[in-house]
Amino acid sequence: MKKGKIKFLTYPLVFLTAGLLLAAFASPIANPPVKDWEIPAKYKEMENPYAGDKSLDRVGKMMYAKHCKSCHGNVGLGDGPKAASMNAEMMPFNDEKFQSQTDGEIYYQSIIGKDEMPNFEKKIPEEEDRWALINFVRSLK
Amino acid sequence: MKNYILFVLLTVVPFTVIFAQDEEEKVKDRPVRAPFASGYLIDNQTTMIPIEGTLEFAIQHKFGTVENGMSDFFGIYAPAANIRLALNYVPFKNFQTGIGLSKERMYTDLNAKWTILEQTRENTIPVAVALYGVAAVDGRNESAFGNGKVWHSGEGTAEFDINFADRLSYFSQLIIGRKFNHWLSLQTGVSFTHYNLVGRKFDHDKVGVHFNGRVNFSPQSSFIFNYDAPLKIEQISEQLQVPDHHQPNVSFGIEIATSTHAFQIYMGNAKGIIPQDIMMWNSNEFSLDNLAFGFTITRIWNF
Repeated sequence: MKKGKIKFLTYPLVFLTAGLLLAAFASPIANPPVKDWEIPAKYKEMENPYAGDKSLDRVGKMMYAKHCKSCHGNVGLGDGPKAASMNAEMMPFNDEKFQSQTDGEIYYQSIIGKDEMPNFEKKIPEEEDRWALINFVRSLK
Repeated sequence: MKNYILFVLLTVVPFTVIFAQDEEEKVKDRPVRAPFASGYLIDNQTTMIPIEGTLEFAIQHKFGTVENGMSDFFGIYAPAANIRLALNYVPFKNFQTGIGLSKERMYTDLNAKWTILEQTRENTIPVAVALYGVAAVDGRNESAFGNGKVWHSGEGTAEFDINFADRLSYFSQLIIGRKFNHWLSLQTGVSFTHYNLVGRKFDHDKVGVHFNGRVNFSPQSSFIFNYDAPLKIEQISEQLQVPDHHQPNVSFGIEIATSTHAFQIYMGNAKGIIPQDIMMWNSNEFSLDNLAFGFTITRIWNF
């Protein structure tokens, strides 16, 4: 009876191990293409009350270093240390397509986020700091 | 004593609230941006409390002293390590509560921090003020407390069972901090430590002063330091001579902060991690041999 039980367990284990071994040779699945952001109109039309405010330059830089750099990289090319483990491709901040967006659209992408891009509403609670960050991202042309 | 504390709390607290409301009506002066990167500053607490709904997990570790040099790789392999695992939660704005477990003396501690006043940008309130309290239970076996004979003031040595109250110790601290500019934040504080049970040669109470701070040298990195001095006060000592074990705790290190983590790596001369243990039992003099490496890692989640 005991022997029968072991046999019962052996086959699934063999198949599982073989499956895992074979999986190691499978080619990695390519990154899924970036889905377009669906940005609510409220954000698209949002005005940046701090546009061009030079006094916030350092704040924006600090916010970027603390919250964004590890994925988006030193100058926003999407080459930070954590980027390699991401599924989504990151658009570089110097990309024309990225920079052609309104401040409000960048605000939505940066602060509200989706999927792998986290929500930063609680980590950057102040509007002034959020716009300071967006001003800095704008400067990474 | 209890009535006196209650009286002080009841008279002072309502006024601070009224004062704060008054300020709000007059000027919309906002609090300064993050005076510290984390609620921890090596062995101390900062006046900084994360946004409400934040859960924080902290790992604090101290290795053995560096005195044996290469033989135990400056304390890394030493058996005399201490570790504390803790969870903190922020249920209301500027109020944090937490629980922690430490290896040393098998402490389980409950703690709470309340930032009564936040420093504001226009200097309407020039400093941040916080209260911090810790109650800890020494969880060791009864045998760790000695042979069951306890010195009872006025009665000499008597046989006692160790009961739950004997295991308790308390630490309460008033912290005053100021962010001077974008790279310098300093704090000072005064504390009161009480152990319900101590050896016959020691005092139950200790008053201490604290000085600590951080110096930012890059957007994410800072130099941090602590100085905690238990005071020798004859007037509150129960002994004819103020007992030993009054070594100040000196520690210094580097802090690196990211969006959700804070990493602190430091050297210091106190083996304890919870504040009452440091204030009451630190017998390591400040010298190169008595320094030990330590680190703190915190991770926060926002809900």
